[in-house]
Amino acid sequence: MATIQELSPDSGRVETRPPEDEIEGDEEEDEELDETLLERLWGLTEMFPESLRSAAEVSAQSSLSVAKKLYSFSRSALWVGTTSFMILVLPVVFETERLQLEQQQLQQQRQILLGPNAGMSGGMPGMMPPAPGKL
Amino acid sequence: MGSVLAASAPSPAAPGPGGAGLVSVPPGFTMPSVSPVSEPGSSSPGRQESEPPLPNPGGFEECHRKCKEVFPVQMEGVRLTVSKALSNHFQVSHTVLLSTLGDSSYRFGATYVGTKQTGPAEAFPVMVGDMDNTGSLNAQIIHQITDRVRSKFAFQTQQQKFVNWQGDAEFKGEDFTATVTFGNPDVLVGSGIVIAHYLQSITPSLALGGELVYHRRPGEEGTVMSLAGRYTGSNFIATLTLGGAGAHGSYYHKANDQLQVGVEFEASTRTQDTSVSFGYQLDVPKADLVFKGSLDSNWVVGATLEKKLQPLPLSLALCAFLNQRKNKFQCGFGVTVG
Repeated sequence: MATIQELSPDSGRVETRPPEDEIEGDEEEDEELDETLLERLWGLTEMFPESLRSAAEVSAQSSLSVAKKLYSFSRSALWVGTTSFMILVLPVVFETERLQLEQQQLQQQRQILLGPNAGMSGGMPGMMPPAPGKL
Repeated sequence: MGSVLAASAPSPAAPGPGGAGLVSVPPGFTMPSVSPVSEPGSSSPGRQESEPPLPNPGGFEECHRKCKEVFPVQMEGVRLTVSKALSNHFQVSHTVLLSTLGDSSYRFGATYVGTKQTGPAEAFPVMVGDMDNTGSLNAQIIHQITDRVRSKFAFQTQQQKFVNWQGDAEFKGEDFTATVTFGNPDVLVGSGIVIAHYLQSITPSLALGGELVYHRRPGEEGTVMSLAGRYTGSNFIATLTLGGAGAHGSYYHKANDQLQVGVEFEASTRTQDTSVSFGYQLDVPKADLVFKGSLDSNWVVGATLEKKLQPLPLSLALCAFLNQRKNKFQCGFGVTVG
């Protein structure tokens, strides 16, 4: 039963609710309950059975922890791998590369001086006139 | 220069068995190093080609040495070594060590090689001495007394106090080697250590032997015994030492002219821990480079690089060691002139 407010001429303007609000009463509950969107979505999960909910929770938590462990493991593995490679392998690589470049340079020089046939390491020095003394 | 330099090639000379916990070397002092006269297995079979087939197996301490030489040696700080051969018999070296962990020091070393030639690169007696800026002295005298007996006497002082004195005699038979060592004998107090080594060739590639350590202090005495076996293959050497002090196994493999690989396993009963190390040595003679790397089960990664800087008689050594677990890093470099 809707309450009837007595309107007296000197009471001023009384706020009356528009009649549509009285019919659709659930919107009143929305404004009163003050739920956020996430809470409403979470409430929807209550429709699933308990075992499913707990299984989902356990699997979500474990996958999160596995992901964290994997991330930290890959970080430390990358660091250990990089520093060990730097110490164990890198100097040898530098030196062999330098040696190769030097040998290539020598070969090129020999090619320039003695002609293209003498580019091999066992060239034929007797065929050409004696090389200039800058070597 | 040849004979003097051959005598001063670095390699550890003092036999220090860990079983009795004896003759602990004070930190920062190393026994002067003298190269062994005969490489185990390499020159002995050559010497005895026309003689009975079993070669002399070499000394007992040499068993694990070939594998240990593959591993890099940790050094820290900056080291400058100037060595000069004053004559064919006498060589002098000055070493300045600037250290990050301890004290910096200057060492003066002298090596004298005598006139009694026993081989192309060996001459006796060999006297090596080393003196520190604080007055600590290391000295070693090696002499070939007879054809088969070689003896060594070494002592070490810390400032003016004698810390370590030992003498040993080694008898090289046809196919066996026997050594007796007296460490820190003190007749007045009645303490000392006696070590006896024996190594016998069973077949041309297998050698078995044992070590007996007897140590005595006023009030206590004890014995430690261990057995050793060494198998030499075509390009590998496998050694195993088992004893009261633990087990020590090593495997040395020569893959090709450039690469040598060593694996070492150590288990100690005293400290109750085991460790496995893997090391390799890479020789690149064209680049005058020797690179040694090692990887340990204690998460220690280390490497040493030695390079001769031609055309000067300079040699540069770089070293880096990293303990991954404790996140501690140590590096050092050294320059050797002459």
